Amino acid sequence: MDPITAIMGLIIAGILIIVGVHLIPVGGAPAAMAMATGVGTGTVQLATGAGLTGLVSAGYMYHIAGVPLLYVLLSGGVGSMLMLGITMLVGNLIYIFGVGVPPVSAKVKYDPITRDRQDIYVSPGTEGHGLPTVSYVSGILGAFCGGVGGSLTYVTLHEIGLSIQLAAAIAIGFFLANAVIAAYNIAGTIEGFHDPKFKRLPRAIASGILVSGVISGIIIAAISFAGGVV
Amino acid sequence: MLDVSTGLGIVALMGAAATIAGAAEDLESDIGSQSNPNSQVQLAPQVGVLHRIFNKAISGEPPAYAFYSSIAATVAWILMTANVNVITSFVVGSFVAALFHGAYATTAYLGRLASQRRYGQPIYLDVIHNHLLGIMGHGFVATFCILVLSYTLWALLKHPFPFVMLAFIWGITIGAIGSSTGDVHYGSEREFQNQPFGAGLNAAYSGKIVTRAEIGTRSSIDNAWFCAKFGGPATGICFGLIIFLDNWRTVVFDPRMAVIVGFAIVAILIAINRALEVFARKTYGPYPEKVAMLGGGE
Repeated sequence: MDPITAIMGLIIAGILIIVGVHLIPVGGAPAAMAMATGVGTGTVQLATGAGLTGLVSAGYMYHIAGVPLLYVLLSGGVGSMLMLGITMLVGNLIYIFGVGVPPVSAKVKYDPITRDRQDIYVSPGTEGHGLPTVSYVSGILGAFCGGVGGSLTYVTLHEIGLSIQLAAAIAIGFFLANAVIAAYNIAGTIEGFHDPKFKRLPRAIASGILVSGVISGIIIAAISFAGGVV
Repeated sequence: MLDVSTGLGIVALMGAAATIAGAAEDLESDIGSQSNPNSQVQLAPQVGVLHRIFNKAISGEPPAYAFYSSIAATVAWILMTANVNVITSFVVGSFVAALFHGAYATTAYLGRLASQRRYGQPIYLDVIHNHLLGIMGHGFVATFCILVLSYTLWALLKHPFPFVMLAFIWGITIGAIGSSTGDVHYGSEREFQNQPFGAGLNAAYSGKIVTRAEIGTRSSIDNAWFCAKFGGPATGICFGLIIFLDNWRTVVFDPRMAVIVGFAIVAILIAINRALEVFARKTYGPYPEKVAMLGGGE
């Protein structure tokens, strides 16, 4: 793979990761007390958990199954979607049966997908709870983008000559770097694509292009000085 | 490549290990009060609620479990390369990780509570004595199962990533799952059992956690007893399902079909989630005070 294609691949992967993190509904610490809509954990941690599950799936497909690149990337996306889909579903089970609250958004009056009324189901003194359909679907899309982004990073790094171990380690670091940029932009909680904070996405993408470009430039330069293979 | 029946057996073993690991991880985070619900334990003395709950937010759960799993896997790998039996290597590796876990838990508890002296929160040495083995023991079980899972994936299913890196990745994943699912039961329900069932925590009650137990003063072991009824097993099932379904589709189907099956499972998950949402809305109904304030009707 030539250096320009590799840099472009990594930049596209970085953008996919940033878009994915913005789509994943995260309620942070307040969601753990059913005070905010979304999954009750941190943005970077959840996205990384999903992304790395996808990376394991993609790594298996890439090396063992010998399928075209498209299937490797799709498999990474599917692995991430499964991780986040099941996590959000079990989270909702606990909200509904363990806490006794319906999944509801506090950012919109009607769910954009199901058209269900939201505001009267938000318990007093909270900013929503659980994962309504719009947040769930947004999370699934986010996990897919994150999984494809993580897989594309790994495949690109391996194609330019890095060993399996090094490519996987750098892919994890690359994922975290982009996820942290997205988390700074989100600043705490986001419900999904219907959340007003989602409109901040372009500036995170701009930062991500810069960061991904610098990281990929350093990697390509290091490989060039090391004589082709690191 | 393995034949399907052998592959399915291996995937079932991985799913079982993941289920035990998930439940143990969540209960450990309840005994130690790690992760997001600990924000309320940390806040409690500042609003005048003194308590005997353990308090050890060493870090977020994903980096913490990535750390323990990596230590355990590294020690196990060193022993395995010295021709030590695999299971013995796992036991020793998990034990070393548990020692690190115990050291971090102790310093985190002492450090956090020492910083709350100005609010009159005492440091209870017996809380450390009573909880530490429970924390280390549950951490040991979770780490051991992650090693079993990672080794199975690496040695039997021939995953190309190194064993230690797989343990690191599953450590991050299990932490993310534990703090997303089981901890909600601890934070939303157990910490605030003095609030009515069927509502999120009103922001006005932040920090006012329950400090009385079923008998006597509440400890974090009481919290683990409560969460073992729902939050812990739910976390275990969650992680077990993820490991089982993700590997099942690649073992049973050819690679192209595995992707399509993955999309089909995701579609089913969305449908189940929607059915649950409709059930909850119909069963619980809207909040009367919100209907009075905002107007009812769909």
